[in-house]
Amino acid sequence: MLTIETLQNFGANTQEGLGRCMNNQNFYFRLVKMAAGDKGFARLSNALNNRDWNDAFEAAHGLKGILSNLALTPLVEPVSQLTELLRDKKEITFSDLLQQIEEKHKQLLELCG
Amino acid sequence: MRRDGRAVSSDVKRLVLVVDDEPVNRELLGFILQDDYEVIYAEDGVEALEKIKANERLSLILLDLLMPRMNGFELLKIIEDDDELKRIPVIVLTSEKKAEVETLNMGASDFITKPYELPEVILARIRRIIELNEDTYIIKNTEHDKLTNLFNREFFINYVGQMDVYHSDQEMDALVCNINNFHLVNEIYGREFGDNLLKRLAELLQEWAIKNDGIVGRAESDTFFIYNRHCDNYDDLQKYVSQNIAKTYASNINVRFGVYQNVDRTIEIEQRFDKAKSVASALRNNFTKFIDYYSEPLHEKELLEQRLISDVNVALEEKQFIVYYQPKYNIKGDEPKLCSAEALIRWKHPELGMISPGVFIPLFEENGLIQKLDRYVWREVAEQIRRWRDEFGIVIPVSVNVSRVDMYDPELVSRFVNLMKDNDLSPHDYILEVTESAYTEDSKQIIGIVENLRKLGFRIEMDDFGSGYSSLNMLSELPIDALKLDMAFVRNLVGHDKKIHLLELIMGIASFLSVPVVAEGVESIDQVDILKDVGCDIIQGYYFSRPVSPEDFAKFIRSEEN
Repeated sequence: MLTIETLQNFGANTQEGLGRCMNNQNFYFRLVKMAAGDKGFARLSNALNNRDWNDAFEAAHGLKGILSNLALTPLVEPVSQLTELLRDKKEITFSDLLQQIEEKHKQLLELCG
Repeated sequence: MRRDGRAVSSDVKRLVLVVDDEPVNRELLGFILQDDYEVIYAEDGVEALEKIKANERLSLILLDLLMPRMNGFELLKIIEDDDELKRIPVIVLTSEKKAEVETLNMGASDFITKPYELPEVILARIRRIIELNEDTYIIKNTEHDKLTNLFNREFFINYVGQMDVYHSDQEMDALVCNINNFHLVNEIYGREFGDNLLKRLAELLQEWAIKNDGIVGRAESDTFFIYNRHCDNYDDLQKYVSQNIAKTYASNINVRFGVYQNVDRTIEIEQRFDKAKSVASALRNNFTKFIDYYSEPLHEKELLEQRLISDVNVALEEKQFIVYYQPKYNIKGDEPKLCSAEALIRWKHPELGMISPGVFIPLFEENGLIQKLDRYVWREVAEQIRRWRDEFGIVIPVSVNVSRVDMYDPELVSRFVNLMKDNDLSPHDYILEVTESAYTEDSKQIIGIVENLRKLGFRIEMDDFGSGYSSLNMLSELPIDALKLDMAFVRNLVGHDKKIHLLELIMGIASFLSVPVVAEGVESIDQVDILKDVGCDIIQGYYFSRPVSPEDFAKFIRSEEN
């Protein structure tokens, strides 16, 4: 169930996210649901697994923008770190970060019902 | 603000395009903007470009950088390279510090960082950029002349002021450029041709000015101003412009330049260009000289002329113009006999004193004011002939000048007829002097009018005979009643056999035409003797009398009576 409380429990900075949505809760929830369903997550996983660093960077960069706008902090942090790692497009170890992202993403999807 | 720079009233919602491949970001911005703006969206650069081109009234683009198909950098480059599109401000949406500077350098107006700032901040930034952009357009539109895209007069003068501030040690020149008889160019070749000519001239001046650290403005119609660092002379500029104009257009289109060098910075900027303008104006009717440089005496002459032109109407009303009369004597008999007079005008200016006709007649001939003056004299003279007749019982015929421009007055004949009627005079009492060169200019027109006047009884004297280019063949057809010798024939007559011989030939022509010859400018008894010997009929000049007031002239009439 998506509420301010559950989002806060998830670790989101709802005050900040809501602020960007002119404090319109319904609109904020709608965007959070859109973010949770964003194709960027799957794209990121696939690209990393295929070692397509360019594509992975673009996906991570895109996600970072969305998630930070909505202040979904638990996801913003690992996605940002991954973005910075991918920026140099060198061979990277990503499994920990990816796992973290996938876990939090799953949680968020559950919240969104 | 439309792309063409026309302002949109403030109650119209401006159209904003949000370009971002992430739907969440697009929706979020749209939500923030929707109350104040009409928002359209694009997912990538390609779609954005289509929408930009399809929406003429777009006020702003909010542009994400990393996008598929065409990214934000590529789109920004396309926009900035397009003269039409680059008028639309772009705010870049980015989380990259590095990209901020890069996009600003590429022409972006501002950036909004991700994550977004508070909606109020975003709205304020957007409003500021749109306003700034619209203001810039209003300024650009008002500071540029639409036809030539040069600065208009007001902004040109402002920029000159700025140049003075930033280059206070540099010696500067002010130039004014005009097209000779531009109104005729428009009339003959049409407005479109005239506009093209102005545009071409503006380009040429601009090209030249850029090379010389100068600026160009269009002050009005065909008047261009140039302000640039001092050059010793501008003959090259004049040649460059003339040759290029001649190449593109007819070679009879001439461009003239007035140059005021090393401007005095203590005088107003407008006045500096007035000085250059006075030089350009003085070249107006010069067909051999197309550039001249300002000097104080020339400027003073110009100022005096301006003054006289502006004073002429009041002068006519207040009768400041005084008609003087110089007697003409018939020398055929033993004793010279007063036969007529010539009316000559003087201007008794209340502040400038007595002004010689040599100063104001050529000036008024140039601008057409001579017609007013001629009519004034004609009336004064007719009234004077009547007054003398009333007083002395005899008629003294008086000759008046008919200027070239009068010949084109459709009312000319009726004017003279009415004048005679009003003063109860016979046309025979009134002599009209028409200069020889007028006949050669448009002989058919003039001969026609002169014939009409003669039929009515007016007498026609051909003035300045010998100074023009009458062909002998034409002379036989001219309807004239007397030949008035050009003064040059009388001057230096004594002791110059060739001149005397020439005079004899002219007498022969006059006798062939059966008209009397009048000599003016006669000053000495020796001249009188020679003229009498060769058969001259009538003499006018200081030998008998200088031009005098009607009161003084009355003495000559009285002495004739005696």
